[in-house]
Amino acid sequence: MTIFRYAWRNLWRNKQRTIITIAAISLNTAILIISYALMDGMIKHTVNNMTNMVVGEAQIHGKGYRDDRSFYKSLPNPEQLIQSAGNQNIGAAPRSYGYGLISVGTKSAGAMFWGINPDIEMNVFDLPKQIQHGQYLSIEAEKGLVLGKKLTRSLNAGVGSEIIVVVQAADGSLGNDLYTVTGILKTAGDSIDRSMAIMHKDDFRDLFVSGGRIHEIALNTKGKLETCELAERMRPDEGEGELRTWRELLPMLSDMVNIFDVVIWIFGAIFFLAAGLGVMNTMLMATYERIREFGIQKALGTSPLRIVGNMAAEAFVLSLFSAVLGTFFGLIGSYYLQEVGIDTSMFAGTFSFSGIAFDPVWRAVISAQGVIFPVLVMCITCTAASLYPAIIAARLDPVKAIYHV
Amino acid sequence: MIKKTALLLAVLLAINTIPAPAFSQSIEKSLTPKQILDKVDDLWRGESSYGKINMTITTEHWSRSLTLEAWSKGKDRSLIKILSPKKEKGTATLRYGNNIWNYLPKVKRVIKLPSSMMASAWMGSHFTNDDLVKESRMADDYTFTITFDGEKNRKKIVEVTCIPNPEAAVVWGKVVVIVDRVTYLPLTINYYDEDMNLARIMTFMDVGPLGGKDRPRRMSIVPADNSDESTTVHYSELEFNPDISDALFSIRSLQK
Repeated sequence: MTIFRYAWRNLWRNKQRTIITIAAISLNTAILIISYALMDGMIKHTVNNMTNMVVGEAQIHGKGYRDDRSFYKSLPNPEQLIQSAGNQNIGAAPRSYGYGLISVGTKSAGAMFWGINPDIEMNVFDLPKQIQHGQYLSIEAEKGLVLGKKLTRSLNAGVGSEIIVVVQAADGSLGNDLYTVTGILKTAGDSIDRSMAIMHKDDFRDLFVSGGRIHEIALNTKGKLETCELAERMRPDEGEGELRTWRELLPMLSDMVNIFDVVIWIFGAIFFLAAGLGVMNTMLMATYERIREFGIQKALGTSPLRIVGNMAAEAFVLSLFSAVLGTFFGLIGSYYLQEVGIDTSMFAGTFSFSGIAFDPVWRAVISAQGVIFPVLVMCITCTAASLYPAIIAARLDPVKAIYHV
Repeated sequence: MIKKTALLLAVLLAINTIPAPAFSQSIEKSLTPKQILDKVDDLWRGESSYGKINMTITTEHWSRSLTLEAWSKGKDRSLIKILSPKKEKGTATLRYGNNIWNYLPKVKRVIKLPSSMMASAWMGSHFTNDDLVKESRMADDYTFTITFDGEKNRKKIVEVTCIPNPEAAVVWGKVVVIVDRVTYLPLTINYYDEDMNLARIMTFMDVGPLGGKDRPRRMSIVPADNSDESTTVHYSELEFNPDISDALFSIRSLQK
């Protein structure tokens, strides 16, 4: 313990230098903590924006459904899964899918029909809010359709247009009926824009003679549960369905998150390097300043190892003190950014990624990992950086050192 | 002179119909693969036609049967109306040139089929919309060679392999037509996709009098990847060259 007390006393022998070093290291730590929290916040923000839109944090499909999207590969017991999600306060939206033909006047196009429960979709997902014209489906089935933007354009339709729908029903017959466009979606990704036609689940059942088949249950907790925990809790039994997380459902987003992670580490490495060099500089200066002192210590019989130890302890105490200080300021900054955030709309207007409009306020997210890691690595880097000047000091020839001016 | 030639032709034609082995041998020789394909193509072609058809569709998940009434005139006009089942009665498909319109009695609307739907199934059968529209003759679209001529399963057959011409608008990679060596009626047509995998098999059965001539009265289509599925077409009535008004092939008559 004396070694640390000794180090502490030594540090304050040159207050000015130590304070500057402490300021540099703590600032570094604080910046690292804040930028990690911001990056983490950006990732979570992006992921939430994407998953909250329509995909969800995970989805359950009938076995093999995603391979060929066969109408008949539906979930065997969707009610059970929905109930289990409900009991755990997890948002679960059941959906049915079917392909067919949609026609207005002389124009017609292929479309993918989504049979949904408007009430649940509105509570669990953001897509119902992304309406450019008109409104979303009403809670009761009223033969309304919400269409993708490009599909509407290619059909030359608008809100209120009468739409003829023709599909191959589940029993082989020709399902057909008239619907009215109630709403048109904002741009929300190419496949949605081009082909999406949302209808009430009851209308879907009648049109497709589907008997209430459910092809997909989209799960969303809006970030309340970690994805892996959500998957753990909701993973259905073999034969009951297949669960996929957003990482599998949105591989592009998953890749983007992975790239972000790498970027954070690169930035981190640069900060650590800068901080490390700062400490090394301070320690080097301190070494040259005290060459006579080291000479006397050596002449009195202090072993080189002891000198290295003393110097390393000094650096460690310095960095620990700075890191604690830096964590304090870093947390204050991160907390502010977590609560208030940065309003990016002043710089960039509304930001959108692959057509999805983002919440312009960018918020930081504080995590234990994002604090502990910078502090730990900062201490190790600084201590390691002090070893070079320490070794120089340890190898001094005592006689030359004493006469060094 | 003309009369003499006509007489000679009449005699020759008469000879054709005599099933004497000595004669048929020489006639067989004279039939080129083009003539064989034309014969197959002409089997269902007239200046106009009217027919009643039972169509049975069997798939993995359902099976159903439709009764259809069909009219055609020239190469490019046809009209098909569903008589039963009740739910779909009155549903009609009009083909005029390369366009297809469907009439839906439930909503009392006519819709034009987009070109992107040409390759999809007609009324859930294993026929595509494209099958209905195709008007060109096989002999025009394909290069053909006789790849087998002899006896198979105790039946004398001729196999003609057709490779599509590069510029032909054909979805198949290869079509193999197998006809009876004696009657030149088709037995089987195998369709291969562009990777030369067998895609579907069309079989002709139940040869008997139909529309004033012996023809296969039943055809079935089986997709090669799922032999449990099939669409069978059975002609209960077929009449060639009846008098059909042009007005029948209009959107207005589609709605009647």
